[in-house]
Amino acid sequence: MTIPAETAAAPADAVRFEHVGLTLGENRILDDVCAHVPRGKFTAIVGPNGAGKTTLTLAILGQIKHTGKVLFPGLDQAGRKPRFGFVPQRLVFDRDIPMTVMDYLLSGLQRMPLFLGHSKRHVERIMRYLDEVECTRLADHAFGALSGGEIQRVLLAQALLQEPDILILDEPTSGVDFKGGQICCELLRRVREKRGFTQIMISHDLATVTAHADHVICLNHRVFGEGEPRVALTHQVLSETFGLHLGLPDLHGIPQDVRECPENCPLRNEHLHLHDHCHIDGAQACSCGHDHAHDHAHDHGTTEVGHAE
Amino acid sequence: MLNELILSLSDLAAMLFPFDCMGPEFMRRAMLGLLLIAPLAALSGVQVVNSRMSFFSDAIGHSAFAGVALGLICSLPVEFTMPGLALVIGVLIMYLRRGSRLSTDTVIGIIFSAVVAFGLAIVSRNREASRGVNMFLYGDILTIGDNEIALLAVLLVAFLAFQFFAWNRMLHISVNEQIAGVHRIKVSMYQYLFAALLSLVVILCVRAVGVLLVTAVLIVPAATARNFARNSRQLFFLSLVFSYVSCAGGLLISAQPWANLPAGAAIVLLACAMFAVSFVAARLRSK
Repeated sequence: MTIPAETAAAPADAVRFEHVGLTLGENRILDDVCAHVPRGKFTAIVGPNGAGKTTLTLAILGQIKHTGKVLFPGLDQAGRKPRFGFVPQRLVFDRDIPMTVMDYLLSGLQRMPLFLGHSKRHVERIMRYLDEVECTRLADHAFGALSGGEIQRVLLAQALLQEPDILILDEPTSGVDFKGGQICCELLRRVREKRGFTQIMISHDLATVTAHADHVICLNHRVFGEGEPRVALTHQVLSETFGLHLGLPDLHGIPQDVRECPENCPLRNEHLHLHDHCHIDGAQACSCGHDHAHDHAHDHGTTEVGHAE
Repeated sequence: MLNELILSLSDLAAMLFPFDCMGPEFMRRAMLGLLLIAPLAALSGVQVVNSRMSFFSDAIGHSAFAGVALGLICSLPVEFTMPGLALVIGVLIMYLRRGSRLSTDTVIGIIFSAVVAFGLAIVSRNREASRGVNMFLYGDILTIGDNEIALLAVLLVAFLAFQFFAWNRMLHISVNEQIAGVHRIKVSMYQYLFAALLSLVVILCVRAVGVLLVTAVLIVPAATARNFARNSRQLFFLSLVFSYVSCAGGLLISAQPWANLPAGAAIVLLACAMFAVSFVAARLRSK
């Protein structure tokens, strides 16, 4: 399913990896990685631990030396470097530093030293972004006293404040409960549609990827497949990427997006908790009046799957 | 000219503290020196605590020995070789820390031992110099010279300029270097500038309180301020307050006939007493 670099040369790409390679000591971390990231869409990078996912994002950020090329079509020609927003996996920091959430967000933006006060212009702008991630109430809280989920939201607001071309999230939901992860993906979709940035997210949660991502790259040192999740995440690609046969969700029995599941569908809750139901057989279990399995038998590989009436 | 300026400034410093013990000129000059040291120590202390660099400042302090040794070998005045060597070592540690996969304490530990061993090796062969080493071990603010006061004043101006320019970004970097770097903050520039300034602050403070106590003068007021401050602004002002109280109060206490202490020890004891109170207060408040 790997798309060769030559045919991926559409200007609709925000990032293109051309034969990216990296060796640390004896270990081949990235091996001839060729893939692309569509502009303005949500691309997920999936793979087991130690597969080089974080390293690949470092290559995008230009923070690590590698062979091959990471191209930014459109921006490269314009001679401009992309603006990045970045949310790390889990922020480990000194929680005893006396500072409010507003202090931290201002510290990256404001020129006037914080000990002389807060600039009204920046505070207003920050409040708008905190509102977007539904965190305005946290502005005057101590940053070190926030929960993991709250910190991720503040960091998301901070990344968005950069007005990025490309937003990179390194397993942002790993420290957050599943509902938090769902809300996070929904929130990101809203903001992305409003602002039009390209979103790249490392994830190990295949259910979330299937439900939310537009494009997926399966990475385990090299690329085993990429494309639209429902098409690309075949059992073969997944077992090659993860190195063993997994009890994977039957992706084709699940509505493409929980939003497409009607209110009265008795499986709606299950659809929201794909984790717990790896083998939902839509035809047998869902009584919402639609034959998912049948639907799939005919529409395999298209995006028009689910509860369409 | 410089002498007259410092004389009138030290008279001014004495007017702020109308105590009997402020009569002698050496006390006035010591007070002037400490009033310059207090903000340097407080503000660099805040960033040392935030960035966990107290071992770094310790290593710089110990480079005083090597600075003395270097002065002996090259027949240069130690007023120049000590800050010069401290600057080189500070920047070198930062370079090794950023560029290698060795952990920070390993890098500092190696350089720390190298400079101390070098200093001891040279100084022990020279009887006169080994008397001078005592002065750097315990410090002596009462014998501070005009040149040193002038150097402190210049450093204070440069350091305050740095704080105006870098206070916010240093805070940002201390939370997470990677985020700061991705978000277009020049992390390495701020870190090198800070390492250079911190090295100079530490080596000049060694003159006042000695190698053994220099790190305490930096970090104890900042740590005390952390126990009370709720935001970045309060941290800035409270660390200044605690630093000024301990420096000025320590000098005054040290000169009282009932105390009769070395100034460095009195300053650090007072600072630590304030920390103890703040620690208990913070514990009670959080209950």
